[in-house]
Amino acid sequence: MFKLQWNPNLKKNIISLAKNNQTRFLNKRQYSIHHPRINSICLTRSLPLDTTSITNTTVTTATTNSTSFKREFSNFTKLQHGHLTKPKPGEELKITFVLKDGEQRTYEVAEGDTLLDIAQGHNLDMEGACGGSCACSTCHVIVDPEYYDALPEATDEEDDMLDLAYGLTETSRLGCQIKMSKDIDGIRVALPQMTRNVSNNDFNK
Amino acid sequence: MLKKTISIIGSGPSGFYTAYRLLKKSPIPIHIKLWEKLPVPFGLSRYGVAPDHPEVKNCEETFKLCFKEHFNDYDYNNCTSSQDQQQQQQNSIEFIGGVTVGGSHIKLKQIIDNQDIVIFSYGCQSDRRLNIPGEQTTKGVFTSREFVNWYNGHFDYSLSEKFNNFPWSKVKNIGIIGNGNVALDLTRILISNQIDEIWNNTDISKIALKNLQNCNIKNIELIARRDFLNSKFTNKELRELWELEKYGIKGTINKEFFNKNQFDIKNMDRTLKRRVEMCDEYMKPFNERTKKNYKKFKPLDIVTKTWELDYLKTPLRINKDSNGYIKSLTLCHNIITPENRVVPQLNEKITYNIDLLITSLGYKGVPLPEFKSLDIGFQKDHISNVKGHVLSSSGNIIPGLYASGWIRRGSQGVIASTMQDSFEVADTVIKDLATNLNGQTNYPKKLNVESIPHITWSQWESLDKEEHRRGQLSSKPREKFLSIKDVQDHLSSL
Repeated sequence: MFKLQWNPNLKKNIISLAKNNQTRFLNKRQYSIHHPRINSICLTRSLPLDTTSITNTTVTTATTNSTSFKREFSNFTKLQHGHLTKPKPGEELKITFVLKDGEQRTYEVAEGDTLLDIAQGHNLDMEGACGGSCACSTCHVIVDPEYYDALPEATDEEDDMLDLAYGLTETSRLGCQIKMSKDIDGIRVALPQMTRNVSNNDFNK
Repeated sequence: MLKKTISIIGSGPSGFYTAYRLLKKSPIPIHIKLWEKLPVPFGLSRYGVAPDHPEVKNCEETFKLCFKEHFNDYDYNNCTSSQDQQQQQQNSIEFIGGVTVGGSHIKLKQIIDNQDIVIFSYGCQSDRRLNIPGEQTTKGVFTSREFVNWYNGHFDYSLSEKFNNFPWSKVKNIGIIGNGNVALDLTRILISNQIDEIWNNTDISKIALKNLQNCNIKNIELIARRDFLNSKFTNKELRELWELEKYGIKGTINKEFFNKNQFDIKNMDRTLKRRVEMCDEYMKPFNERTKKNYKKFKPLDIVTKTWELDYLKTPLRINKDSNGYIKSLTLCHNIITPENRVVPQLNEKITYNIDLLITSLGYKGVPLPEFKSLDIGFQKDHISNVKGHVLSSSGNIIPGLYASGWIRRGSQGVIASTMQDSFEVADTVIKDLATNLNGQTNYPKKLNVESIPHITWSQWESLDKEEHRRGQLSSKPREKFLSIKDVQDHLSSL
């Protein structure tokens, strides 16, 4: 098994292969790729597949072991986070995170990266338990009200997940669903205080 | 400095997230032993999450990272060379799969005696029951835990004759008791399993899927003791059920239980408000719906299957036919008092004719066999604890013992809440680890697992790879091993 060497042509091929093979079920899209060289990759995501996310996916290819003829296959890979796109000079967008202790950190980022990508790329304390597929609430952020209305409206799926977030506010969103754009250049978001609602079980004798 | 040794019992989301946090945040070097009863890790992520929710299982990737970054099959407290000593300063984790703590190979006491810290995160392994006549003796009555384990390919159930020899083709009307997400998952799987685009590319057990597809389901009744406002499921799962209308699967709630005008919507929390709106919209004819979100897919004109949310009922008795199969369920109406107590009206009995009953009342935590002799407190369905510190039966904190996840709080909440819980417990452990260091003399606590036959992480990785390979043959993310024998055969073929 070896790592696939990325080149622009191959990347284009993979994306078109994936798009041809996509199937929809409920509100999700599933992409699967079958290709003689790339044995298979399976991606499930509720977001449209784009070039950025494909670059961030580790793909391993199948090889034939000539002595045993035992075929080895790739692992199911999820979209890896924590890899950021470098902003083009002059096109940097700014974002400020307010951390749990109140500290503010500002970063220059590229258009299209999600807040989850950015937070994880800078090692901030934000989990993306479901890998950024809008299936949990662990990347909950509180958006500065000044910027909230500039964001595209949350989908029902995102709102369903926000229902389960701790410390929900009027301007809460999921970090994985907000993509950086010129409209929100300079946006400020706070990471919620992770205090769980106190329940009876915390006071067990 | 010697590494602190930590044993975590159970490798589901709570165990893994506790380990993940410890590895990430511990200020002093630690070695984690992660014990798992089954040969495979991930607990309810693998065997609880519905197969058509693969994105929820993405947390497994985080767990795999723990091993990628900190993996050690070997306890470095035992070695002396300089390279080893360097590695002594790094956090490490080891997987001990296929070993029952308290079983023939290792006792809980041995682990506690030989580790600095032991964390219980073994979840809830039993079922809450109705305790009504016929529940345990009637064919066609299953608990949700058994049922979910069966279709998720759990070793204890996937090949069970109780399921695989059941006459599924006779199933037309189904009753599900309970109002949580598991009840909705079950409904979705039962009612939509013939729709290939939903199920063909999932890792559902193919034996279960084939059996379920033989059903000729007409209606599924979801029965709850309380009312609509007390439903425990989340909006995502409910929305998925309503959305099946585009396949001719229609849901209803009787006006008696759902009347928008009688609800105090103003004072409802956001979640409930959205739930009321969703149900109200979906029950309107398509053309009369006000929001575009509810008009995405036109429902099929022909309704082939129905589901109904039914409220304020208490099941009293399960009635069987001469062959011992379930025939009907006798229930009575309930009222809820102003003090929010449920009072069954035993003189108002009704009967539902059903061919299958699933009780989905929640998973129940049970104590480990040695808890009594070790004086570890257990109440109702979870380990006695204060903020994760395990308590003795008399209520004193037992130093070095912790609990996290469902076995600490009871079977409630999604993976994100379990993650939060595990993080809090891990942070407590870290704090205690740091303070214990001050002034105390350390002596190495070692536990040698070489003599215990177990599945290592590398072996699991090869099982994982094989499951992917088998899955890929039919465009699925994986095809699970359904029996321990199959696992053993594969491992010995390597």
